[in-house]
Amino acid sequence: MQTARQQDPQPLVAAVRGATKRYPGVLALDDVDFEIGRGEVRALLGKNGAGKSTLIRLLTGATMPDSGEVTIDGAALTGSGTQRTVEAARLGVRAVYQELSLIVGMSIAENLFLGRWPSSMGVLSHGEMEHRARETLARLGLTLDPRRRVATLSPAERQLVEIARVMIGEPKLVILDEPTSSLAAAEVQFLFKAVRSLAAAGIAVIYVSHRMSEIRQIAQAATVMRDGKVAGTVEVAGADTAEIIRLMLGRSEQEDRLVGEARGGDTVLSVRDLAVPPKLSGVSFDLKRGEVLGFAGLLGSGRTELLRAIGGLDGVRAGAVLLDDKDITRASYGERVKSGIGMTPESRKEDGIMPLLGVDENTVATDFSKVAVSGVISASRMAEAAGDIVRRIGIKTARIDTPVGTLSGGNQQKVVIGRWVYAGSRILLLDEPTRGVDVEAKSQIYAIIRQLAAEGKSIIFVSSEIEELPKVCDRVLVLKDGNFVQEFSAPGIETDTLMAACL
Amino acid sequence: MSATTTNHRRGFRLFALDMNEIGLIVILLVLYFGFGATTNGFLSANNHLSLLRDAASIAIAAWAVTLIIIAGEIDVSVGPMVAFTSVCLAFMLKADVNVALAILAALAIGGALGTFAGSLRAYFGVPSFVATLGLWSALRGMSFFTTNALPVTFPDNAFLDILADNMFGIPTSAIVMLVLFAIFSFVSQKTAYGRSIFAVGGNANAAELCGINVARIRVLIFTTSGVMAALAGVLLTARLGSGNAGTASGLEFDVIAAVVIGGTALSGGRGSMLGTLLGVFVITLIGNGLVLRGINPFFQEVVRGVIIVAAVLANILVTRYRERRIFGA
Repeated sequence: MQTARQQDPQPLVAAVRGATKRYPGVLALDDVDFEIGRGEVRALLGKNGAGKSTLIRLLTGATMPDSGEVTIDGAALTGSGTQRTVEAARLGVRAVYQELSLIVGMSIAENLFLGRWPSSMGVLSHGEMEHRARETLARLGLTLDPRRRVATLSPAERQLVEIARVMIGEPKLVILDEPTSSLAAAEVQFLFKAVRSLAAAGIAVIYVSHRMSEIRQIAQAATVMRDGKVAGTVEVAGADTAEIIRLMLGRSEQEDRLVGEARGGDTVLSVRDLAVPPKLSGVSFDLKRGEVLGFAGLLGSGRTELLRAIGGLDGVRAGAVLLDDKDITRASYGERVKSGIGMTPESRKEDGIMPLLGVDENTVATDFSKVAVSGVISASRMAEAAGDIVRRIGIKTARIDTPVGTLSGGNQQKVVIGRWVYAGSRILLLDEPTRGVDVEAKSQIYAIIRQLAAEGKSIIFVSSEIEELPKVCDRVLVLKDGNFVQEFSAPGIETDTLMAACL
Repeated sequence: MSATTTNHRRGFRLFALDMNEIGLIVILLVLYFGFGATTNGFLSANNHLSLLRDAASIAIAAWAVTLIIIAGEIDVSVGPMVAFTSVCLAFMLKADVNVALAILAALAIGGALGTFAGSLRAYFGVPSFVATLGLWSALRGMSFFTTNALPVTFPDNAFLDILADNMFGIPTSAIVMLVLFAIFSFVSQKTAYGRSIFAVGGNANAAELCGINVARIRVLIFTTSGVMAALAGVLLTARLGSGNAGTASGLEFDVIAAVVIGGTALSGGRGSMLGTLLGVFVITLIGNGLVLRGINPFFQEVVRGVIIVAAVLANILVTRYRERRIFGA
């Protein structure tokens, strides 16, 4: 299972032995062994659901294995519940997650010591706090003034402050979860410098990322997870990208493709040299009638930014968006909605549903006037219109006016898509439409997308689960470093070549 | 108020009751018969008319504030807005402006001031509490400044007398209140504007992505509130026969209390006009009963405070119980 690493035997900082963790319906970890030594930077890779997060949670004590053992700095974790997290933290485990957790209104120093501010006799001692903060920042090679408010920092600097925060105390193992996903390419080097100082100080670093170029610069070895197991640990220097992809994907499961030969319809949407700094530089593509166009790319590659720019939610620096050859670059979101563009957001809960309103009202909210008779919403028309969508899309709901918040994630997502079908939109921008929904709902959503395309709608499908793109897309464009780097057309879309293009 | 029933109350179920409203009706009955059995004159016909008149002075503003709170906003400027429009109206009548014109102008002034506060919220992101707090202070000050705290009298006016008097034996203001209740119930349940308010209060981001013009909704609810406060000001002016800078002091708190007692969530997204109607009567009954019982006026405030908090607490507990059943633990 695990390729032996030929390295000088460094004292182990953390070890997971024979860990198995089962969640209802899923075997998240299956007899996993993992170890990392002092001063090592280890990349951790794997598809969504491969078990990376569960492994991280074992190390931070957030999760207890059903069987197996977690050892930090020679001591096995024994506690349960929050006690276990405290124990792991005391032994020196620190994690920095994708979502930044800084309080922007406070200074860097206050954030570094959040909740544990140095004080004497109940009074905060700002002098000592700033002094210690300066020291900590200096250990990472940073020259930020600890009195600066976090609000004034760039995303990269904030990320660095997050990392500085884990330096407080005596860290032994630092876990960085996709730390560069919110950074522009130029800012990544600052982060690497900080990571190298961590390693130089003898701290072990687990670096979760899928950007091969970064992994090659920063990590010595890479552990690849698949289906709850460690598929292999390889020396980064000796491994080529193809081998890592093979480890991530394994023997590819039988794919049920819904896509036929790509058809050539008229171009309905054209994007020309669209620039949205700092994420996108001069992106161009065409979307045809009845086509499902996939955007692939790693987290932070600019997929969401591109969708929002097409939808008119964010301004663009340069370039043009043409709908039926008409320039709509300056049109507002509302105007684009009226001309037939519909958008479903990445985060269903925050931006998608109105949880207290019924399925019917969530559906017709995109155009109340269609179910109104001289300004008065007709209950029967609304029930009819929403009922039609519920049947067409296959939304499972007890009643048509059941609050959407009570539905399953998959059904909520179907409502969010369905409202644009109701509105008669011709172009659907779907941002991660299968995120957080179960397997069955996923394949239903694929089928819905294909059905809508067959009806002549054009769909842009964004997904971070690369293996679903070949299933639904007629064409896939790969976003990397702010631009499209490669294009694949059905039936020639393969998960492994797609992934190689992304990394 | 539970989510399900709020949203099920459509079509023929426009006035279907839910648990919170049943609870409020029980509270109302207890208060009514409690005061009725123990307090002299409470059950008299005169007192009933006075109850209706008092209810109207809160309720007319409360209808619009219900919409504002459902949208997740707040309006604390109601009292000074009533006083200011009342003073404006009195000045106009004193200057012999045609009464219909003067009333329309007063309503327009209220609408314009509300629109101003709403625009601050919608386009500049000023929290609605701050925008209306500014109005609260400025309008009260303006009223006193222009009148030197003296009542502004005006010649007798037949039309205002009708507003101050009874129609079919019922105070005209109460009739206005009930007509507006029907209109607001209808608008909130059966029009795109009304449902958009629920959508914005439930999840403004999602509403925006649906193509709902969130900013416009936010402005319109404050415009509506300004007009309704001005209408309350017109009725009050008619009743008092003068414009008074100090009138309607603390009305905004009665209004907000009535709305939240009625089960409208301060966090937005749910609420109902019927709940507010019941809340208005709870507030009115308590006030009226305590006065008739001759309770020390200072202590009345204490009792009122306790009852308001207790009613809202009961409401929250009921909601929590229901949500646990609907959304799962």
